[in-house]
Amino acid sequence: MGALVLRRFGALLAVLFGLACIVFVLQTVIPSDPARAMVGANASQEAVEAKKAELGYDDPLPQQFTQYLQRLAQGDLQSSLRTRNEVTADLREFAPATFELAFSAFVLAVAMGLGLGLLLAGGGRAGRIIRIFLIGGASVPAFLTGLLLILVFYSWLGILPASGRVGDNFIVPDGPTNLLVVDSIIGGTPDLTLDALKHLILPALTLALLPALAIARTLSTSLTQVEREDYVRTARSKGLTERTVLLKHALRNASGPALTMSGLQVGLMLGGVVVVERIFAWPGIGLYIDQSIAYSDFPAITGATLLLGTAYVLVNFFVDLTQAWADPRIRTV
Amino acid sequence: MSAITRVGGPASRMWRGRPALSPGALKGETVWHALIPVAILSLVILIAPVLAPYGGTDVNPVGALQSPSPDAWFGTDEIGRDVFSRILIGIRTSWFAALGVILLGTIIGGLIGAIAGAFGGKVDMVLMRITDLFLSLPAPVLAIAVIAAMGPSLRNTLIALSIVWWPWYARIVRGEVRALAARPHAEAAQLAGVSRTRLVLKHLLPGAAAPVIVTMSLDVGNLILALAGLSFIGLGAPPPAPELGAMSARGLQYLFGHPWVPIAPAAAVALLALAANLLGDAINRRLDQRTTR
Repeated sequence: MGALVLRRFGALLAVLFGLACIVFVLQTVIPSDPARAMVGANASQEAVEAKKAELGYDDPLPQQFTQYLQRLAQGDLQSSLRTRNEVTADLREFAPATFELAFSAFVLAVAMGLGLGLLLAGGGRAGRIIRIFLIGGASVPAFLTGLLLILVFYSWLGILPASGRVGDNFIVPDGPTNLLVVDSIIGGTPDLTLDALKHLILPALTLALLPALAIARTLSTSLTQVEREDYVRTARSKGLTERTVLLKHALRNASGPALTMSGLQVGLMLGGVVVVERIFAWPGIGLYIDQSIAYSDFPAITGATLLLGTAYVLVNFFVDLTQAWADPRIRTV
Repeated sequence: MSAITRVGGPASRMWRGRPALSPGALKGETVWHALIPVAILSLVILIAPVLAPYGGTDVNPVGALQSPSPDAWFGTDEIGRDVFSRILIGIRTSWFAALGVILLGTIIGGLIGAIAGAFGGKVDMVLMRITDLFLSLPAPVLAIAVIAAMGPSLRNTLIALSIVWWPWYARIVRGEVRALAARPHAEAAQLAGVSRTRLVLKHLLPGAAAPVIVTMSLDVGNLILALAGLSFIGLGAPPPAPELGAMSARGLQYLFGHPWVPIAPAAAVALLALAANLLGDAINRRLDQRTTR
């Protein structure tokens, strides 16, 4: 296991370096002029040149690249053109909301995927209908899900809020984690916890739906395969109930691919966050990206890309390790 | 179903059941026949805007935000454009944009995969490491960054999506080429003194056609959703072009009073993706059946 962790960690570092390279390439090919954007449209040509020299855009590319890596290592992502803050500071402000949303959606997706996958595998003749349902579900764009959920639960039933993280009449605690649900539990304000959870439901559900279907599909496929194996037949012929066979015997061996799929779906979620946060006015990284796009705020977008990319790589690193821990057969590969 | 089902793929790629087609098991004809329904649907989508009662950008301020009626089937938007007409045109854009990305991705990925598979050794290693790198990163996030860097336009969106979409095809083609290269017919061709280029083009690549087409057909639906999502956050053709995602996004503020404005284009995306997914599923099963029989 130790060797595996080391090897995967090496791969993790390589991928992060690759991500940094890709972002650097993007920075060098952008058609817009960041120096011009920083000093303003009315600034003199000299001011632009001075800013260019200051930012190092006149240096040869290899030198720019080493400087860029040094800045990254120091956690310097330059300043946002729109908010004029350090991008790192902006990200620190918006990241907790996105983390809270993405984490809830991930848990929800795994839970729904597990449930649906088991239902599918145990479904028997209903399989064909459920298959159509899954294809149908996988065709619904996240923004349609979001709009319909808002119409039903906010507009018609009026039982769930449809925008923001918390109601206006609450005072938002200042830390320590900036995760609203966690902070409100620590601060002992159950009303706030409940309100924050209510605000989480619709966006998290919207974000979780497509990944949940993908996880369910993967799980049911691998369950069907595992069910053909001899040990499952043995378990059945011992007279165990179908439920015990499925849950106690088949599920663990079938969970590997579903786990991998869960990790991969995080990538879809991190992209979906931009759409979902816009619909639900959720003050996170996605909304930050959305607003930065309108301003061509490239430092902000690259900063957010680096953050989300790193998060994705880290999640999949841990998914890999979890899988190896759960399934000893993988450790030797 | 095939015995081996590959799981995973870039995040946007959630379709299970990529079949393990045995290389070269399909005759070219079968493969192309499977694509006939795609061609028919493309034709229908291409000429559908003829039915549009109004132009995609015709503005009629007097008739803004009208409810659906026989005159305007899906109502009109905030500046009086006919939603139904715009949707028909938007569907055409979405569909052909998705096909375009797939084609570009297949060409780039196919080229890289073929080169890696044919040369082997260091070339193979370097190209596959680059492929792995792209597969290890969140494709939708990368696409957003690439479009934002190049400036939002439909063309740049297509380029950006192709950039994040090719790695899967590179991997499939490379795998097939390497598997086929070890087969007697490839050895025979080599012994007969066939050039490397001809060997790859004539004897190795055709074997990769079936798995590539299955993957392509299962991808169209995902791409339609990806394109619509990007368009929704303003990374598509700039207004006033009728694009489904952007239409829905701009209609967001009218959700409560005039729900058809944001919902109708979103529902059109779902219908189009559904059609693509059903087609892809049918193609998948047809080609799958032929090879595992």
